Amino acid sequence: MKIINILRFGFSFIVLFMLVSIAVLAQDKVEKEERIREKEVPKIAQEWLYDSFEKIKRPKWYKEFSDSGYSFEAKFQYDDHFHSVEFDSLGNILDVEIEIDWSELKEEVRSSIGNYFGEKFKEHKLIKIQIQYSGEEEDLKEFFDEDENEGILTQYEIEFSGIDLSGDSRIWEGTFDSQGNFLAQRIVRVLEMANVIF
Amino acid sequence: MRAILIFLGVCWFPIYSKGQSQTFFSGVFPEVSLTRKLSNENRINFKIENQFILFDNRVGEIKEAQFTHYRTDLMAFHDWRINSTNSMAIGVFYRFQEGADAKRIIQQYALIQRLRNLRLSHRFRTDQTFTKQEKIEVRFRYRLSFELPLNGMTLDPGEHYLMISNEPIFSLQNKEFELENRLVFGMGKLYSNGQKLEWSMDYRTDGFIQNDLRTRLWFKIGYFQSF
Repeated sequence: MKIINILRFGFSFIVLFMLVSIAVLAQDKVEKEERIREKEVPKIAQEWLYDSFEKIKRPKWYKEFSDSGYSFEAKFQYDDHFHSVEFDSLGNILDVEIEIDWSELKEEVRSSIGNYFGEKFKEHKLIKIQIQYSGEEEDLKEFFDEDENEGILTQYEIEFSGIDLSGDSRIWEGTFDSQGNFLAQRIVRVLEMANVIF
Repeated sequence: MRAILIFLGVCWFPIYSKGQSQTFFSGVFPEVSLTRKLSNENRINFKIENQFILFDNRVGEIKEAQFTHYRTDLMAFHDWRINSTNSMAIGVFYRFQEGADAKRIIQQYALIQRLRNLRLSHRFRTDQTFTKQEKIEVRFRYRLSFELPLNGMTLDPGEHYLMISNEPIFSLQNKEFELENRLVFGMGKLYSNGQKLEWSMDYRTDGFIQNDLRTRLWFKIGYFQSF
């Protein structure tokens, strides 16, 4: 009898929460990205990419939705580095991000960023470093085609885990200018993973 | 698809390879997990799991479908955040099972690794189980889980993901050592940042050392809510 009551309790508890879960389905947020086929990408973006990265092989294309609209992104390996190239909804180039190692940064940039970590954090561990190039379409094309860096804005985005001076331990993303001077910082949210923890 | 077929093959192989000499049972396994984030970012988790047997090869000739309650587990955890990806927890557990009600205390350390388009999580647990008229059972378990978004590089609300996990469990009771393995393969959907629904197959094998091999295949549906 005891077991039957437990069974009833447990089963109704589960059914109730399944129903609650279905009731909340409609609350999905708008921000997301989805994998798309190349033919769904504006021609102008495809042309820019293949002109600027002549040896490129099979980039993966994504459409990124946000509250303000959508953009396109190509992700691929090139010259042993992972690249992300972002285009607006019409296919105009926005920026190029390339993952690099700490050792690939110039000595003075490393020193400047290192000083920032030393002053603002008790501990830090680098997770990912990206160099970001933005500018006008023609300037960016010439930069990747002919190494001309006129009109190019260079910044570094660095993701790192760290403990700040107040003792707050988080994953952060810091943005630094081309000389390694600090520009901005935000907290990187880690998606809830209770399903694999408990 | 190929991976799914191989997995199914591995699951069913022991059942037919040794006929009735080993125990096999299968059934449904609904679970609900509720996690409350506290103001200091520590967490409290409550979980209920039910197991109902639909097929059991120990029951003679099968003339009609079975639907037998096997066990209900209730558990609660307090989880301390170490940093964004590491945490430690202690938990209490009560099992309702005919003739084998049990109490358990659990200690765990969990670590999440964020790779470019994959999340890996490691969970290390020790637990001590107290069952009436039995010696205390002490276990160590390690679960490795992969979560791979099926749409895009990151898992966003409204998207599905693939999950695979494996957990070997080392147990010591009455000076006897035993081994169990749990392999889970499934799919989930993230509804909002704190809400997931998962459908999976959980294949458990135990009795490798002391008893005859026992295999259990559970069809799980799990609802996970964090708030």
